[in-house]
Amino acid sequence: MNAENPFIPYLATLLTTADLTPDTKLLTVELDDPDVRDRFDYQPGQFAILSAFGVGEAPFCLVSVSYRGRQLEFAVRRIGTVTNALHDLEPGVKVGVRGPFGNYFPLEQYKGSNIIIIGGGIGMAPLRPVVNFILDHRADYGDLLIINGARTPQDLVFAPEFDTWAQAPGSRLELTVDRGDAGWTGREALVPDVVKELKPSAENAIAITCGPPIMIRFTLIRLKELGFTDSQIATTLEMKMKCGLGKCARCNVGDTYICQDGPVFTLEQISKFIEQF
Amino acid sequence: MTQIISRQDLLSWLERLIGERIVIAPAQSNGLVLFQRVSRAEDIVLDFDNTVLSPKESFLPLSEVLFTVAKENGDIKLMPATVAEEMVLFGLHPCDAKGMAVIDQPLLAAPADDLYQQHRARTTLIGLACSQAGPECFCTSMGTAPDDPSNLDILLTRVNDSYIVQATTEKGKALLPSDLIAQSEVTAPPPPSPQAVPTEGIVEVMRGAFESPYWSRLADRCLHCNLCAYVCPTCYCFDIRDYVDEGGIERVRSWESCQSPGFTRLAGGYDPRPTKGARLRQRFYHKLSYFPEHFGHLGCVGCGRCVRYCPVNIDIREIINDIQKLGAQSEC
Amino acid sequence: MQEGLTQQIREKARELLTSAAVDCIIGYERASDGLTARPLFAYEPNDVDKLIFDQTCTHNLSRFLVDKRDSTVAIVAKPCDSRAVNLLLAEKQIQRERVYVIGVVCPGIVEATWGQINDRLQARCQLCREHTPPMYDFLVGEPTAEEPPVEPYHDVAELEAKSVAERQSFWAEQFARCIRCYACRQACPGCYCTECFVEQLDPQWVGIRVAPAENEFWHIIRAFHLAGRCIACNECERACPVNIPLSLLNRKLEKDVLELFAFRSGLSAEALLPLATFKKEERLGMGE
Repeated sequence: MNAENPFIPYLATLLTTADLTPDTKLLTVELDDPDVRDRFDYQPGQFAILSAFGVGEAPFCLVSVSYRGRQLEFAVRRIGTVTNALHDLEPGVKVGVRGPFGNYFPLEQYKGSNIIIIGGGIGMAPLRPVVNFILDHRADYGDLLIINGARTPQDLVFAPEFDTWAQAPGSRLELTVDRGDAGWTGREALVPDVVKELKPSAENAIAITCGPPIMIRFTLIRLKELGFTDSQIATTLEMKMKCGLGKCARCNVGDTYICQDGPVFTLEQISKFIEQF
Repeated sequence: MTQIISRQDLLSWLERLIGERIVIAPAQSNGLVLFQRVSRAEDIVLDFDNTVLSPKESFLPLSEVLFTVAKENGDIKLMPATVAEEMVLFGLHPCDAKGMAVIDQPLLAAPADDLYQQHRARTTLIGLACSQAGPECFCTSMGTAPDDPSNLDILLTRVNDSYIVQATTEKGKALLPSDLIAQSEVTAPPPPSPQAVPTEGIVEVMRGAFESPYWSRLADRCLHCNLCAYVCPTCYCFDIRDYVDEGGIERVRSWESCQSPGFTRLAGGYDPRPTKGARLRQRFYHKLSYFPEHFGHLGCVGCGRCVRYCPVNIDIREIINDIQKLGAQSEC
Repeated sequence: MQEGLTQQIREKARELLTSAAVDCIIGYERASDGLTARPLFAYEPNDVDKLIFDQTCTHNLSRFLVDKRDSTVAIVAKPCDSRAVNLLLAEKQIQRERVYVIGVVCPGIVEATWGQINDRLQARCQLCREHTPPMYDFLVGEPTAEEPPVEPYHDVAELEAKSVAERQSFWAEQFARCIRCYACRQACPGCYCTECFVEQLDPQWVGIRVAPAENEFWHIIRAFHLAGRCIACNECERACPVNIPLSLLNRKLEKDVLELFAFRSGLSAEALLPLATFKKEERLGMGE
């Protein structure tokens, strides 16, 4: 972020937008200043605050991996004022970027473990860079199981990458939807039920999950039933945010500021929060 | 030996300062005493209990432009706001000075809030010790005192028709009018004794009281306005939004409060803190639990404004008493 | 006389709670200064002894009825407060069977701030036209003959008589002090919108900026939203920390509605609200 004034965004150009689902777009953004572009380093789990000038700014997880290129990717779901404005932007327009903020998945620590990725809807967004990081460093990790669910087949996020994920060595992609359509031949089940069905082993495993609160709630129950301990389960939390700097006192869950101490937490950390949502 | 300045000379000094820089001081406004920019020393109120609003708006304004967006030849430029003028903030009581020190902690922590830092750097603080304590005051239970010179550049203590002058920082010493200051044998009168509130150990006791139904019961009468947070010298929550006007685009930050319904509501409608009890609890936990655990001292300075102005008498002193009692009961 | 009121309220409250006729009594108790009053929510018969009624009981407790609409509550209501109950009933915000109104024949409320009371009646009480609540389930106190004020809008008329420039300058000075704490809105029983226009982002009517123009917009639009609805309890002005004379604004519109529609808010729960009612026979003068 701007070293002098952390409220001033870096200027960036919106390069491309691509529809991922009827309400989600993949925005690719390039920072204008080459020095800033080079210095902007981030890890899976971190987020940035995107500005649609004249409307406002909002936090989005960075869904790209920094070593693959200097362009930043965000998966933006159209749901409120800022996201509506971002969706309506044409490529070439200037946006603002503040960040990177927050902590990240301790992928260094996870080396050698089997990884289970469980995503629901737009919750797949922060998990995508984790998947891609693991695939790019395949030998460092054990088995990879990806469970990706959504309400309907059109709402599955990152469909263009499913083949790559499914065909990667030692990897398995299990898709599911709540409700299929005429062309859907796959599974129709809730994500927690798929976890129950697949029974991933808790031995030497890390489960990372993100999705709607109710999906997370039941997924955690299933994982505990399979013997996963709280420290083996990680997630990324979301709260209303404004500054991203730990100053506007808005994004706290109890004494934990999501923008500074998070957004990535293990279940063990979350269970110790004084405030539970 | 102490340094003193007569009331008359004080007004001359203030008049001098008004000529050199912006002076913010307590002044009358519609029957209220509020910190305002003054153009004449005689408009300054020297004898008052406390102003309705704390002086924090001199450093964290009610609304402040963070930057403007200029469009030039199809190119966008962001123009950050800057604080250009030197300022004197005169007449704040030690509780309010401590309030500034409290707000400094989150706002100056890296990465520092640039505008706030500029305001603070460009302002010299001349405080007034309190000659009496109001029925709502409890500063001595919150780590300061009616005659506490810390967190100020200069402290003035009234003795009859003169003021003892204590400059505690280089900035303060540089501002003193050496021609108007005399030496004296006069000593400060004993400071008033505000009521004591049992804050000892409150942080630990709060930890155990989180799930108590006390909070939702108390919240029954809370109106969830922003009044307590806005009169408070230590509340600093803010909101950031863009404004589009004929002149261009401005990004503005304004005060907000955790009590506002919708403070934590996400786009799409989910609100993790939808109940009155959870919101009310958040305010007192921020002040008496999270802030002290993070920064080492309570997030309240005992100025008593919230006690005086809350339309439904939600009284932090009463809450501290009640929570201590709850804590004692659960230990039995 | 007030001890009598307190006693009667406590007895009724005790009866209602022990018989479980209501979940909660919303009344008044002594505030932390030992002088003034504050709202009390009594859930247990034991809490009933904290209830008081005296001339410091300024709050309009009907403000809490919408919050508690899923419970059955009893509320201690002065005449102005009971008019607000009628308003909420007329606007279908609460159900009649879920509210038990303990109406109080009101002696008038005195000017008070925390830690300080005096003998002078609040301005709104000096202009009060009904000391007996127009609606109640149980009445506490003895009704007496009314002596309506001769000129209930004298201060409004005084301001109306000034020139536009004078009025503009007056209000500009008043609104410049506003800090947008919304204590006025939150204290008001008529302001129950789940999303206030001032919080709307799309369109952004006001936004978050605190500045004279925005402050003026906030107050004037709020006054219009209360036109024909405000019952002049004046809690908004009392709650305001910077003494903005909101009563003048609200009662100006009250006066206009009275002149245009011969209507006063809150006297009946079945009233047709003038600004929310369209009658076909009303001539619009448009293309007719």
